[in-house]
Amino acid sequence: MKKASLFIPCIVDLFLPEIGEATVQVLRRLGVDPLYHKAQTCCGQPAMNAGYRDQAKKAAKHLIDVFGDDDVIVSPSGSCVYMVKHHYPQLLRDEPAWLWRAEELSERIYELSQYIVDILGIEEVGASFKGTVTYHESCHILRGLGVSDQPKRLIQKADGVKFLPLPLADMCCGFGGEFAEAYDYISEEMVKEKVGCYLESGADLLVLCEPGCLLNISGYLSRNHPEKKALHIANFLAGTGGGG
Amino acid sequence: MEIRTTLFNEIAEKEIQNPYARAFLKVLPVAIAVRRKAVMDSFPDPNAAQACGQAIRAEVVARLPELLEEFEKNALARGAKVLWARDAGEANEMVLSIAKERNVTYVTKGKSMVTEEIGLNDALAESGIEPFETDLGEFIAQQLKRPPFHIVGPAINVPVEEVCDLFMEKAGMEKTTTDPVKLGYAARLFLRDKFHHVSLGVTGVNMAVAETGTIINLENEGNIRFNKSSPGTQVSIMSLEKVVPTMEDAMHLTRLLSRNCTGQKISAYVSMDSGPKKPGEIDGPEELFIIIVDNGRSEIYGDSVAREALRCIRCGGCLNICPVYAKIGGYPYGWAYSGPMGQVLTPLLLGLDRTQDLYRACTLCGACRDVCPAGVDHPLMFLYYRSKDVEEDRGLRGKKRPWKESRFFGLWSRAVTHSVLWNLGVRLVRPLVNRYSHNGVITTMGGFFKGWFRTRNLPPIANKTFHERWSGLRRKATGRQSGENR
Amino acid sequence: MEQRAREEILGRLRGIPKRAVDHRPDMPPLRERSLDHEEMIATFIEELTLEEGVVYRVRDGREAVARLTEIAAEEGLQRVMISTDEIVASLDLPAWGREQGIAVLTPWDFGDRDSFRDAVFDEVEAGITGADYAVAESGTLVIAHDTNQPRLISLAPIMHIALVPATRMVPTYEQAVEEIYGDTKDIPSHVTFTTGPSMTADIKGKPFKGMHGPRRLMVILIG
Repeated sequence: MKKASLFIPCIVDLFLPEIGEATVQVLRRLGVDPLYHKAQTCCGQPAMNAGYRDQAKKAAKHLIDVFGDDDVIVSPSGSCVYMVKHHYPQLLRDEPAWLWRAEELSERIYELSQYIVDILGIEEVGASFKGTVTYHESCHILRGLGVSDQPKRLIQKADGVKFLPLPLADMCCGFGGEFAEAYDYISEEMVKEKVGCYLESGADLLVLCEPGCLLNISGYLSRNHPEKKALHIANFLAGTGGGG
Repeated sequence: MEIRTTLFNEIAEKEIQNPYARAFLKVLPVAIAVRRKAVMDSFPDPNAAQACGQAIRAEVVARLPELLEEFEKNALARGAKVLWARDAGEANEMVLSIAKERNVTYVTKGKSMVTEEIGLNDALAESGIEPFETDLGEFIAQQLKRPPFHIVGPAINVPVEEVCDLFMEKAGMEKTTTDPVKLGYAARLFLRDKFHHVSLGVTGVNMAVAETGTIINLENEGNIRFNKSSPGTQVSIMSLEKVVPTMEDAMHLTRLLSRNCTGQKISAYVSMDSGPKKPGEIDGPEELFIIIVDNGRSEIYGDSVAREALRCIRCGGCLNICPVYAKIGGYPYGWAYSGPMGQVLTPLLLGLDRTQDLYRACTLCGACRDVCPAGVDHPLMFLYYRSKDVEEDRGLRGKKRPWKESRFFGLWSRAVTHSVLWNLGVRLVRPLVNRYSHNGVITTMGGFFKGWFRTRNLPPIANKTFHERWSGLRRKATGRQSGENR
Repeated sequence: MEQRAREEILGRLRGIPKRAVDHRPDMPPLRERSLDHEEMIATFIEELTLEEGVVYRVRDGREAVARLTEIAAEEGLQRVMISTDEIVASLDLPAWGREQGIAVLTPWDFGDRDSFRDAVFDEVEAGITGADYAVAESGTLVIAHDTNQPRLISLAPIMHIALVPATRMVPTYEQAVEEIYGDTKDIPSHVTFTTGPSMTADIKGKPFKGMHGPRRLMVILIG
């Protein structure tokens, strides 16, 4: 039986564990046995983005050790996968042994929808939703990983779904980690515009692949448009609610 | 030009409330970005075309000193005078001395960001020589004493009523009007008179071709051509990264620059100067001065990451696609360069310590990097500057981070490498956070994260994190498996 | 002092270890390179018309002059400045002017740059020039300036009329630039690419033709 080691980022672990549970559920439905190393902590993005490279390096080395022996690693967070694939080699540039391990690791780590469509070769995962669905293209997933078709195909193949395009789908939602707090007055305007596009699309549901974006958009919806929902693709495919 | 980079938040908060600014930001950059996409498709392979532009600019940065020497040699051979200025003061002194020797009372200027960087207009005015910006948008911005709002439309956010008042007062317009076309015509008449009698014209440089010693300018209005055709003396000022290897490279960059800047295949006019006019020619400058400005760039060149900022060709493609710029416009960036390219260049020229917000007010979305025809990696640069603050790098003038933040990441790095500590930390923090939770949602945490909670809620930390649920999840699977006889 | 500045700047730049320059990536040739003569002309006309240039196609010099006569009548032209490049010279416009009662000035009528400048700014309603190349890819005229082709004639008057033999048509900028700059011993002091009338949209984003340069560009394509 196929195995996949789960990389569950801190946002999911703490605030949205149902995304992790849904990921487990979906993978099992597709015949994949998920493992989870309890020693995992954080990919290091917060430190990297704040300029604390030494600390980010420590996180990187820990993660490489934790996932060192796994054939395949899957994560419901594209930005974390991007951190590993793109930033780890840069961070470890001056340590050849670690650099080799980082580059090697980046060959076998995947974002969830990328794993399902590109590696398992599956588009119909037994999901269903009666209504219209639209999709937000998270920056690190779209531009960092080049993943865009895969989640949309998974959504469109769900039973009962009519897919509607999201206006300005690839425009940043304004999360950006620290940015949302430090430059809140700009972040607000960005998430407001993103939600405006969601409302304009007329879709019943907004699906996305990035937990950070979800926290941001759902947080805004919860306060300002509580009747509208946003859902992580794992929950959408698992057919389980939740997601803020 | 006044440096207001430390006022980023103050200016941005004001601009984000400004209805005129917001109205234009909803239209202009979006329209250009859409046109850009369409016009890039005129290339059989737009990605290859972009990659080629990036390769040209990579080569320029890699071979900068030899290309500058080649350019100088060939420009001198055509009869141009090539001057080198280490900083803004030297550059301005050169222009002033050229102007004074020729008893010039006013100059006409084409749009040039480097002349804003060095503050040339102020230097001229202080010496009693009146500078007239002749690009319509720059003319308006200059008269209103405002920095440029957008690379392509420096005054596009200014309400027509204000432009009308301005022209009545300063441009000799006689009848009030709010018709943009009539206003444009009034400006044409006023500035035409200046062009007619000018004896010294100042221009920037889009590209300096090393192979032939030629300087190239792109424009739509014709004001730069007037500066190159009417006066007896032409002074063209270039920051040193403007050099390109060959004419062929220049043609390719002309295509990319036009497409990214305004969504055109090519600007209405491209003019190329190889030396001053030749004997017998009845117009054009008798003397062509080319001033190569350093102003901190040769120092940046020593830093292998920072030097890639010199690839930038000032096309404005990044401004048009940036979601942050789309909310705040050009003023908050506080200097001659705005948008993502300003966020990359200004910290290097002015020092990280007084440009903190420029590289922190960014979500690292990467849209700018993806459209850049020169291959600048803006997010990479911003992360680099942030790390230089943490390191308190002296060369780039990194600014020490707040003690609390350093302490936090110190603790964080301990926890991140020891999962027992990490999970203990989670269990300790959970009740502190969740005491703010009511009915399954957190709407405020008192003094913490006030920015977030102004318009957003947060879910509470789960009673059982994924980590804590795993044993149960794993057991569930085992139970099912044994039931199914796999 | 200047030498010191130069040495300091170059010294800092040269002091950095050289980096290898990557191979330039391949790029497929522009589509215009595979157009035949008539297709290039059609593309040129389409592109320039999009930019609000006006193109008239005529068979020969005689028809070109006839078209010029019509334009002059429509626009009420009374005084024009012409360059003396070989294309314009071949049409004997001074004679045409005398026939039509239109004052035809040339730069050679002026003894100094100031009086020429006064005339081209204030005393003529159109500038008439030839063009060295017409570039199909964007409807662009390429003009190399010299003693017979002053810079201001195609810039200062409110109307610019360009006479261009169809044999000067090239697919992309590179062909024009190779011929002009190929022989590095003798390159023109000034070369202009013109694609349509002068324009701006700097006030409220509203486009306006004739900001500083000509408001109207007319091309008479000959042959």
